This record gives sequence, C-alpha cells and structure tokens, in this order.
Amino acid sequence: MNRVRVFAGLTCAMAISAAVGCMLTVKPEELGPADVETTLFLIGDAGEADPRESDRILDSLTAQASAAPSRTIIAFLGDNVYPNGIPEEGQAEYADARRRLEAEVNAIPMGARGIFLPGNHDWAGEGAFGLYAIRLEEKMIASMAGGRNIRMLPGNGCPGPVAVDAGRLRFIALDTQWWLHGFIVRDAESKCPTTTAAVTAALREQVTEKQPGRVVVVAGHHPLMTGGTHGGYCGVAGPFRRFGGNAQDILSGLNLTMRDSIEAAFSAQPPLVAVGGHDHNLQVLKGDKNVRFILVSGAGSMAKVECAVRLRESYFVAHHRGGFMRLDIMRGKGVLLRVFQYQGSGAGGLAYSRWLELK
Amino acid sequence: MRKSYRRRFVSLSIWILATAGIPAGAHGLHAQVSQTSQPSPPSPDQREILLLEATPIGALPPIPLPMPASRNQSYFGLRLQYGDREDPNEAHLTALAAGLDLQYRGGSVIGITGGYQKRDCIALGANCGGHTMFGIRSRLNVLTGGQTIGQLFKDYSSTTTLGGEWGLGYSPDVLPGVASCTLDFGMPVTISLGQRVRVASFLTPGVMWDMGCRNAGTPSRRVYLLGFGFGLQQLQSRGLDLYLGLQKIFRKSAGYQVGLSITYVRLP
Repeated sequence: MNRVRVFAGLTCAMAISAAVGCMLTVKPEELGPADVETTLFLIGDAGEADPRESDRILDSLTAQASAAPSRTIIAFLGDNVYPNGIPEEGQAEYADARRRLEAEVNAIPMGARGIFLPGNHDWAGEGAFGLYAIRLEEKMIASMAGGRNIRMLPGNGCPGPVAVDAGRLRFIALDTQWWLHGFIVRDAESKCPTTTAAVTAALREQVTEKQPGRVVVVAGHHPLMTGGTHGGYCGVAGPFRRFGGNAQDILSGLNLTMRDSIEAAFSAQPPLVAVGGHDHNLQVLKGDKNVRFILVSGAGSMAKVECAVRLRESYFVAHHRGGFMRLDIMRGKGVLLRVFQYQGSGAGGLAYSRWLELK
Repeated sequence: MRKSYRRRFVSLSIWILATAGIPAGAHGLHAQVSQTSQPSPPSPDQREILLLEATPIGALPPIPLPMPASRNQSYFGLRLQYGDREDPNEAHLTALAAGLDLQYRGGSVIGITGGYQKRDCIALGANCGGHTMFGIRSRLNVLTGGQTIGQLFKDYSSTTTLGGEWGLGYSPDVLPGVASCTLDFGMPVTISLGQRVRVASFLTPGVMWDMGCRNAGTPSRRVYLLGFGFGLQQLQSRGLDLYLGLQKIFRKSAGYQVGLSITYVRLP
C-alpha cells in the first residue's frame, strides 16, 4: 500500500513539473518599429517555388520585410535553384532555373538588402560543372537585381568568409559547399583563399574583431548541427548513412572536418548564432561552447519540407512545415528570434519566439 | 512519601525493562525457532525465478531508447534505478542500482550498471539478506522519425524511435554458492511528445535467457519479457529524465516489477 502511495506521489510530482515546464514558454513580443535597429530574415532552400501559384512563404517574407525595408536584410541560405543550379543559356532547363531564382529576387522588397549564399544544388547539384554554375548564378542575380543591393556572397566561387556590417550586426557569409565539393573549386579567375586553413584563419579574424554590443551571425548552407535527414535521423536509413560517406551528411568525415574547422575559428569569440539550411525544416538548437545558438532554416520551399527529430539540444522543431526565421537586432541590447511556419494550405504564422540576447 | 517515590521508581524501571525486553526476547525466540527449523530450500521453480530476477535485466525497471542528440559529440550519462518486484505469493525483491552510459554521437548507447538486490526472505528464510549485481547494456536507435505518430496526436514535434537492445547480467551470489548469468535481446519502441518537457511512453518487448553459470544447475531456458512505461524527458534541465517502468517476465509466479529510473545526460 505504501509503495502504491510512493509511486502515486512521484507520478503527481512528474505531472506538476511538466505543467511548470509548459508555463515557461516564451510569449511572442510586440516590438515598436523604433526599437529595431536591423531585421535579418533567414530563409533557406527556397529554390523550388510553386510554378503555378504565388508562394505563401515568399509572400509572407515580402510582406514583413516591406514594413521597414531600409533596415532589412534578407539572407537566402543556399539551394536557391533546384535541382542543379543555373545551366548554360540555351539549355532546356534554363528558363525554369531562371524562374526559380526570379521568384526569390522578386521577394526582396525595394530598399531591402538581399544576400544569396550558395548551396550544394547551386553548385550544379554537386557536379563537375559546379564552379561554372555558381558564377552563372551570381551573374544572373546581379542582372535581376537591376542596381538594387542584392548579390551572391561569397562571390566568384570563393569560400569566403565575407562580412557584412549593419549597425550592431555582423553577418558573415560562408560557402560551405566549397569545402565539400568533389570537383574543381578554383581556377585562374579565383582571387580568394585557396586552402581551408586560410579560410579558417580569416573566419577567426572576422569573428573575433571586437566592437561593443556586436551581434555576430555566421551563415553557411550546411548546418553545424541538425536533427533532420542530413543529421542521420528521419527514417530507417538514418544510422546507416554514416557508412555511405556522403559529404552532405553530418556523419561524414569531410563534413565533420569542415564543422570542426569552423567551430575552431569560433573558439576565441563565440558568435551568437550559426545558421544554415540544407535540411528542409526549421530548428532552433542550443549550441556548444563555441557558438550559443544554432539555427536550421531550410524550409523555404513548401514542396520540399521534411522531417526533423527533436534533439536534446532542440529548443524548437517544426517539421513538414515551410517557413523562415526572423532576427530583430534591437537598439542597445536585445536580439529577438521569431520562427514563422506555414502549412501546405497556406495557414500559419508565428510559431516560436525567443530572446537570444536579453533586452 | 519517600516510600511512595521508591515504589514509583521501581515500577518505572520494571516497565522500561519490560518494554525493552519483550522484543529482544521475542527476537531471541524467533532466532531460536529459525535455527531449529531451517527453511526448506527454494523449489526448482522459485530458484529459476530468483535467478532470472537477480541480475539488472530482471531486477531493474525498463527504460526507453535514448533521446536523440547532436551527432557532433558523444555524451556521458548517469542513471539511478530502483526496482520492486512482487510475486503472487506476496514475496518481493527490491533492487537499487547506478549506471554510467555513453551515448555515441547522439544516437546509440552502451552502459554499465552496478547495484544491489535485497533477497526474498520469504522464499529463502534464513538466507535472506542481499547480493550485488552487475550488467552491461547496449541500445541502438535504428529508426528515428516522427510524422506518422505525430499526425495521430496532432503533435508535430513528436518523435518515434524504434531500436534494438541487448544486455548481459551477472549476479555472483544469488543463493549460497550460486551465481546468475542472464542475456536478453529486445526491440524497444519509444514515442515522445511535446515541445518543452517531453512526455515519453515506451514498450520494451524482449527475450531473456538464464545462462546457468556457476552452480546454477538449471539448463539455459528462454523466457519472454515485456516492459512498459512512461516518463518525462528534459525535466527542468535539458539532460534530466524521469521514468516509471513496469516489467513482466512471462514465467509462472514471476509477478510484476515496478520501478523508477532517473537519468542525467551531460550536455556541453
């Protein structure tokens, strides 16, 4: 009888603890426009826009960015054109590839800054034509921009890092596919670091450059951590993907070397956020000693959304939902993250918010 | 007056001696009875059940497959388990154990366990006391996903994990001069729901063998076991989990086991 009471008591204690945990959820904050210094939108893997109807995700992004375009940066986190980037003009796929990129460029409202990061699909789907394809895409973005501040970073098929400063924000762009590509990654026209050690050293320098209140966001197509398909989760093949040796997966040796190098560059001055796409879902994750938060925002195409598993490090996971993330860097102090997710029907909106840096 | 005080003092002394002496006398009498009438050794059935329940496999409550974590590193975790088994004859075994687990690259786990089980006094009479027990267990996450179950519960943060597990258990002194060695294989499934504190429920069907080591005298025999339980993951701390588990060994008179497990995984 006593044992029954003990177990009943413990069960109640577990239920109460759960209820307390639920109450700790952060409520969405309403910010006054004057409080926001810079707004950074993060959307990845958006290169599969619906060819028939207007895209709900891009429409929502445009509507939000249009509120104050002059202080807005929109970062497309790679895989801007599925499946194989921009082909040469005259090829059958050219027109559709152009349509896909155009949908994204047109989603950037007048006055806002647009940054396109390269992804593995932009590198001709990891093909031998990759370096050429990435340069074609850069040129096409420049021509579509029509003089607006929209460009591919890093450019010219270089690995980066390239820093963009806007107030307190330092946005550092990396081309992570450059690390993983199995074919030519430089030629006579490349005027950039030629070794991974040089890239790591440059990244370390850019991250550690101190300025009071600086908010450092490092972006690349491949995430540093993920509970999605590329993390070896979702589906029966998950744990066995490590034996496949696919460099696109977290479990592969080449990918691990890249992540270790990037994180090593962070060690002196951990950035606030490292963000990537690649996995087609939305994840907010606790970082480690080298980076405080890791974001995965690869749900820019409704047609490609996928599963994601909640990890011990996960703060928020949205799988099989399209969407994007928004970082508001406040004047003085405070960085607010908001995650917007949408269903196939178009319904959706704000799903999660969290102060990454306290106000 | 003085006489009255003396009488009271004598009465009080007699009362104290009497209250202290009665249990002592009873205990002496009980010991005398125990010595004079040795309990009959456990029947073959009781012996087989005791051997099966003497190692961590049968003595400790089931726990779910590990919660997935980042592939970037491996994690060490601590585990505390308490199991209480009661059979239809009102006999019961209690066990307390601690374990150390290594979760490799956020997925599968290998762990060691050391603990102590209190012997069943009803079955063993004068031999009751306790014995140590040790075990090693590996759990492999084979399938980790979420959508199918998530749609059923309208919870898109749900995770379903299907895996395999095996364990070895050893207890050196279950009965005087008799050790127990057990082996089990299982195919557990875990479903976790919720965004903040995760509610996990799990089922751990398996098969177990008594390997008949050191003087066990029983042939290797297969029994089926089924575990069930639920718990809370990431309870306040991201690495702290609490589980309530129930286990049934499908063997006549084996009874049921209920227990609690607390696990803590250290995150970087």
